[in-house]
Amino acid sequence: MSVDTEADAAASGQGVKPARIAISGAGKRYGDLQVFQDINLEFNEREIVTVVGPSGCGKTTLLRCIDGLMPVSDGEVRIEGDLMTQPREGVAMVFQHFGLFPWKTVTQNVGYGLKLAGVSRAEIDEKVPYFVKLVGLEGFESVYPYQLSGGMQQRCGLARALAMEPSVLLMDEPFAAVDAQTREILQFELLRIWEMRPMTMVFVTHSIEEAVLMGDRVVVLKGRPSSVFETIDVDLPAPRDRSTLAHPRFAELREHVWATLMDEVRAAEFDVR
Amino acid sequence: MNSLWDSRPIRFSTYAAGLLIGAVLWEYFGGKVNPSYGAPLSATAKRFIFLVSNGQLQDAVLGSLQLYFVGFISAVLAASLFGLLMSRLNYLRVGFENYIMLLYATPMIAMVPFIKSVLEIGFAAKFTVVFLFGFFPVLYNTLEGARSVKPEMVEVAKSFRSGEFALWRDLLIPHTVPFILTGIRQGAGRALVGVVAAEFLISSSGLGGLIQDQQGKYSMSGVFASITVLTAMGLLLMWIGRVLENRMAAWRGLNR
Repeated sequence: MSVDTEADAAASGQGVKPARIAISGAGKRYGDLQVFQDINLEFNEREIVTVVGPSGCGKTTLLRCIDGLMPVSDGEVRIEGDLMTQPREGVAMVFQHFGLFPWKTVTQNVGYGLKLAGVSRAEIDEKVPYFVKLVGLEGFESVYPYQLSGGMQQRCGLARALAMEPSVLLMDEPFAAVDAQTREILQFELLRIWEMRPMTMVFVTHSIEEAVLMGDRVVVLKGRPSSVFETIDVDLPAPRDRSTLAHPRFAELREHVWATLMDEVRAAEFDVR
Repeated sequence: MNSLWDSRPIRFSTYAAGLLIGAVLWEYFGGKVNPSYGAPLSATAKRFIFLVSNGQLQDAVLGSLQLYFVGFISAVLAASLFGLLMSRLNYLRVGFENYIMLLYATPMIAMVPFIKSVLEIGFAAKFTVVFLFGFFPVLYNTLEGARSVKPEMVEVAKSFRSGEFALWRDLLIPHTVPFILTGIRQGAGRALVGVVAAEFLISSSGLGGLIQDQQGKYSMSGVFASITVLTAMGLLLMWIGRVLENRMAAWRGLNR
């Protein structure tokens, strides 16, 4: 894994663009509890990086630090050069708990971010149907979240984030709360949408299989406090689809990540904390 | 067991029978007692028509309604705004929490003599009584509601770069409105008690004043007629409260 600082990138020539997201020396502490430490990562313009690790390893916390929802205790997170101390334009997040407003219809939920960004009514009315359709929620425009299944609620959450046309999309275990079949469908749909409009996607997941399937790179967090144990380049053919799951290389990579995490998982299982 | 009550005619006739028995008992026993202790239904109805025909009842109802709505609407607005502010400003919440619990627990009627001696006889004193009767139930429920806004949802709003104003508009107020309505439903009855208490104890006016006036004339039928009107007002207010709450039920309760 290469860790370029901005200065290095600049020195190495004008052909190399600085990474879209640069995390250097990042650590997070809550009082005495060190969640993660010394994290150095760079995410490029068109790539999906998955972050995998056992429960409680701080992967969601790391994602919140990238979004600027909470500050890092040490080091820094930069997106397109800007120090992340608060949420920034061009960065959108999809939440594990969906985070939809129960009193807003699908249309209103999808238009939420645009409205906050001061986009005109006319433009919102034009954009929202496109993204509703993109995620397959056509016909459900005026429905409230409680009338939707979990999978459809997350489609709505995804459309809300995509409507911001972000250059960075942060996914916080987005499919952890939906059933297995729906999860698989959503994974491939997300990949299809990403192919249409690639951006930097940081995808946090608990599932090793999902991490390998979705990621161009897989970042493995490990340890207590956690840090980056390994970054794996996923050399699976694109586009990824159902056949990818049957690819021998997929099985190899999955076993590799699994073996890497196994000690940790085993330790966590007997962790009485 | 339940099947008997699924039948509409049976339910309806039992319902009607209950009311009829009540009316007959009122008529019978009301006519037996000394007229200075009670009055039968028929005399109450006659007195009601009389009080309407000379305009006394309408004046009393208007006076009480005016006091009620001015006092209670002010209380609802003040309590919900203050409750929402308290939920966002910790020093306000921590600083005032104890006082709110104390005042919520205090029977407001005990404050009436104090209010009377400070504000003297007049609309301001009566307004204050009604306001205080209605204020605390609404404030208490608003606080409960605003406090139950999920931190995850605040985080969603922050992530989409919501400002404080938009946070109130999109999250805090819509989330809290059903709780405010519960407060309104609880406070509506109390504020009506406040109206009668103010009209009894500050200075005689409205329906409370009419009850005192009729009692002074030894007309129990007039007292009962006034009480019946107050009952009708109470029922109407409860009904309005329920309709408002139900309108919010579309997404409430079923939501995670």
